[in-house]
Amino acid sequence: MIHDDVEEVLLTDAQIRTRVAELGAQLSQDFDGRDPVLVSVLKGSIIFLADLVRAMEIPLSVDLMEVSSYGASTESSGQVRILKDLSRPIEGRHVVVVEDIIDTGLTLNYLLRYLRDKGPASLGICCLLDKPARRLAPIEIDYRGFTIPDRFVIGYGLDYDERYRNLPYIGVLRPSVYGASAAPE
Amino acid sequence: MAARLTDGSPRFAHQSEAELARILDFYQVAWRYEPDLFPISWNADGAVVESFAPDFYLPEIDLYVELTTLKQALVRKKNRKLRWLRQLYPEIRVKLFYARDFNALMLKYGRLDFLADVAAMNGNGPLNEPAP
Repeated sequence: MIHDDVEEVLLTDAQIRTRVAELGAQLSQDFDGRDPVLVSVLKGSIIFLADLVRAMEIPLSVDLMEVSSYGASTESSGQVRILKDLSRPIEGRHVVVVEDIIDTGLTLNYLLRYLRDKGPASLGICCLLDKPARRLAPIEIDYRGFTIPDRFVIGYGLDYDERYRNLPYIGVLRPSVYGASAAPE
Repeated sequence: MAARLTDGSPRFAHQSEAELARILDFYQVAWRYEPDLFPISWNADGAVVESFAPDFYLPEIDLYVELTTLKQALVRKKNRKLRWLRQLYPEIRVKLFYARDFNALMLKYGRLDFLADVAAMNGNGPLNEPAP
């Protein structure tokens, strides 16, 4: 069972549900009458996005992007690439980037530069998890679910080697799964 | 777009520095390798006796980044130097990446092969390094 690989539950299903509802209500209030576009980054954010938009009661659009990750792409171009671009223009639109987790901020830093060039009316950031310990790129987060310690987390969309996305909670991966006897804290 | 600012290919002191440079290149974050040397202690004559050169400077972010090695004694020494640096130059921003931070980054990017290579060179097991 996938639950056996979880060392500790960091955020329960109920805690996440409550916070996502609060974020949805806040976004609904702030973007009322502005018809925002929520842009989510595949794949980790999909479950958060699905729950977040259902917690919002205003007209909105959803779009998805996918950006290559360092480890998976080191053999190819050596530079980050857009694997899936926006399906519609965002010029003049109010855009909220929905992220599952912000760690170093390098991916989001690249993505924000890319999206700014598309001329949105505004560009906000909503993330479920903020892990500031290793932040390199300065990211101004407008809507934050939880600030978490520097642990390797899985579940609720977040994976390790493409697994554990279906856990209903956020958990800390047992170090033995990735071959260590102690957590990298 | 951002580009590498260091001329040519610098000689990195450690594999982890070269790997961080590749990560920064990948995400198009400009960097310079050891561009500045900060004096941190002087003798009675006013001559500099100790300096600190952070490994990287990211000009677009205005951030220095320092990577530590796996050796505990060096980590302590670096922590001390960093404290002095922050006291003497409070206007500069420095991010210290411990080995555990770097290892966690490699784990995130699925680069366990790289960690295994580095660990073998250092005589450590993967992801089992001393805490600072």
